[in-house]
Amino acid sequence: MTQETDSETRFRILICTDGSDESYRGVRYAARLGQGMDADITLLYVRKVDQGMIGGMQVRVARENILEWGLELPGIRYLKKGRDMLVELGQMEEDWDERTTHSDVRGDPLGDHMIEYQNTMGKKIRLRLKVASDILAGVLEQQKDGDHDLIIVGASGRTRNRFDKIFGVTPLALQLAVKAPCSVLVAREIEEGKGHLICVDGSKSSIEAVKRDAMISDRCECPVSLLAVAEDEQRVDHAKDSILEATNALKEVGIKPHKSEIRIGNIVSEIIGEGKHHSVIVLSDSGLGDLERLLSGSTVLRVLEHSETSVMIAR
Amino acid sequence: MKEFLREKKWFFIALIVGAIILTLPLPEGLSEEGMIVLAMTVVATILFVTEPVPLPTVALLIVVGQVLLLGIASSTVARSLMNDSVLFIMGSLMLAVAVVKQKLDKRIALLIINVTGTKTIRIAFGISVVSGILASFIGEHTVAAMMLPVGITLITLTSKDPKEVRNLAAVLLFSIAYGCSVAGIGTPSGGARNAIMIGYWKEFYGLTISYVDWMIYAYPMFLLQLPFVTLLLFFTFKPEFSDLSPAVEKLKEQVKEQGPLKPRDWTSIILFALILFGWVFVSSEVGMGTIAVLGASAFLVAGLVLWEDLNSGVNWGVVLLYAAAISLGVQMKNTGAAEWVANTFLTMLTPLGADEGVGLWLSVSALTTGVTNTMSNGAAVAVLGPIVLNLAKAAGESPIVIGFITAISSAFAYLTVVGTPACTIVYASGYLKTTDFLAVGWKMALLSTFLMLVFASVYWPFFI
Repeated sequence: MTQETDSETRFRILICTDGSDESYRGVRYAARLGQGMDADITLLYVRKVDQGMIGGMQVRVARENILEWGLELPGIRYLKKGRDMLVELGQMEEDWDERTTHSDVRGDPLGDHMIEYQNTMGKKIRLRLKVASDILAGVLEQQKDGDHDLIIVGASGRTRNRFDKIFGVTPLALQLAVKAPCSVLVAREIEEGKGHLICVDGSKSSIEAVKRDAMISDRCECPVSLLAVAEDEQRVDHAKDSILEATNALKEVGIKPHKSEIRIGNIVSEIIGEGKHHSVIVLSDSGLGDLERLLSGSTVLRVLEHSETSVMIAR
Repeated sequence: MKEFLREKKWFFIALIVGAIILTLPLPEGLSEEGMIVLAMTVVATILFVTEPVPLPTVALLIVVGQVLLLGIASSTVARSLMNDSVLFIMGSLMLAVAVVKQKLDKRIALLIINVTGTKTIRIAFGISVVSGILASFIGEHTVAAMMLPVGITLITLTSKDPKEVRNLAAVLLFSIAYGCSVAGIGTPSGGARNAIMIGYWKEFYGLTISYVDWMIYAYPMFLLQLPFVTLLLFFTFKPEFSDLSPAVEKLKEQVKEQGPLKPRDWTSIILFALILFGWVFVSSEVGMGTIAVLGASAFLVAGLVLWEDLNSGVNWGVVLLYAAAISLGVQMKNTGAAEWVANTFLTMLTPLGADEGVGLWLSVSALTTGVTNTMSNGAAVAVLGPIVLNLAKAAGESPIVIGFITAISSAFAYLTVVGTPACTIVYASGYLKTTDFLAVGWKMALLSTFLMLVFASVYWPFFI
């Protein structure tokens, strides 16, 4: 296998760390997904660019003063804790090769920093302290640069209230779920070992999600269950067809579903209810634009906001 | 191309709005030139708020607009960009960077903890008081930059795990930010907005408000707010630790490594004391800007700071921005646009009973607070100053009271990270969330507004 091909087939996980419990749960989950030598993990902390008017003095003056006191940049301690967890979980050894890189960023005096650890088999774990104009842009830029297959981000831990919704305070997890071009796992209380619940509706995108998640759940050896929700009795047949189609898709990749369920009722409530018995709810991206999502009150967004279980948007 | 248009959409929207205003029929009482200035002001305001282009670009466009749209000679516009207020802002910014570079922050930290002891509430109050008093003379950005490492050090020495000191971090860091923010109103050198208002008083009414005059009006209000800052922060965040003895002891050890004050330290302290003396006692004769520039020169001559430090530390675009905004404000006055907007605003307030007294003050304060939370407070005063001063004239109110209400209310941007320079700086620590600013900011805004109205009703009338 050439190095290029190897690079193309590697599974790359990007974990957004912000020091929250949810983000560290994401690290644990990533450790399970990232098992094997064909997976790389990047721990990312995005710092907002040190640029601003601040009354006429550059923010860099304040930043330089902090550094002269010997204090660390924000994010470094979170990245180090994530790395220590990966060592503890057996994902990396202390003796891996270590390489530090720095790159300039326009408008910020300190720029980006990265520490890359690599073992003899080529597996890489990276700690990336990135600077960007805003957090979302930084994560998306990193995903693009590293060609990551999966982004893991901690949920904010609280439901948005009316104030947040009116004034557009959208948590990073929700923004990423909408904007990221790859699969996104919004990590909450991940109770490991309870498997993935893939929600299907017979659409092409939901079958794609089945195939996508089959690969991911195979990595963590998690059992896969299927769920189709019919809004009323008349749509039960369609739900049955959806389950059948998804089961066949799973069989194609050599996976037998642990359980298949058909429910009748409100789609969002049924998914959230059944999801409580699983580690991760898997949904397909509806493929709608931002405006359409807003108008339709997307099922994906509502499940993301109200579920107590971790949710993965498979793309 | 699509990405470019998306990024710059507010720039084009602003230009379209400006063009639409210019095609509207001329309202009664507004001259053609006034309409042009009004359109330019609306465009500039949209650009200040949405920032599709770097803010100094707006300044450049204001200059170009005055020449091309109003037909004013280029040299006349250029002359209008510089006055004592702008010189004062420029000199103060250079002094700010020079002071930060003196590394007196550790000594200030030692002074605070020696006086306050180890109780969290006393330390928080001590930080607010010292930050506030310093910021009232040298600007909030300077002090916030100096005090931030003190706050972070106390937090990290208490616990390495940020989650264990989440509320303590909020209390200490907001003590710095709000201590500095409430102090910005204390003296003319507390913030560029104050200098801008002083410039407008002189331009519009020929009123000269000296450094001491300003302090008599505003300093007591700043001092009165300090204990409330600490109480509000404790009430809102309830810190995990009521005593910081271990952290204070470690900090003392770190700071003591500095040894006694060196000749260089003494020189910078004496120079700064002389600048304060100049502002208080001599600025009426030679101008506050002259003292500020002389002070910056003195730091350079004494070798206490390098020009390279000043050059890279000062955001020169801000000087340009304020200069252009003041220049546009003067055109608002000259063309009658400010008077027309003021009269229109007053007509809207009359049915609400807010066209005089406390109602009018509250309206002006609410307008300023709203605007300043969306743009820099200096820009808010530069845009609103001409309007509110004309409003005072039309309503038969004191321009001094209305001017102070505007300048002081522009410091009430407690709700957002970018609202005040001090808030932006403490946010850079990584310990605070944007929602923390909302959680405590609205309480601060209410408190400050209430105190200001009490001062306007009870205290200021003694001096008018």
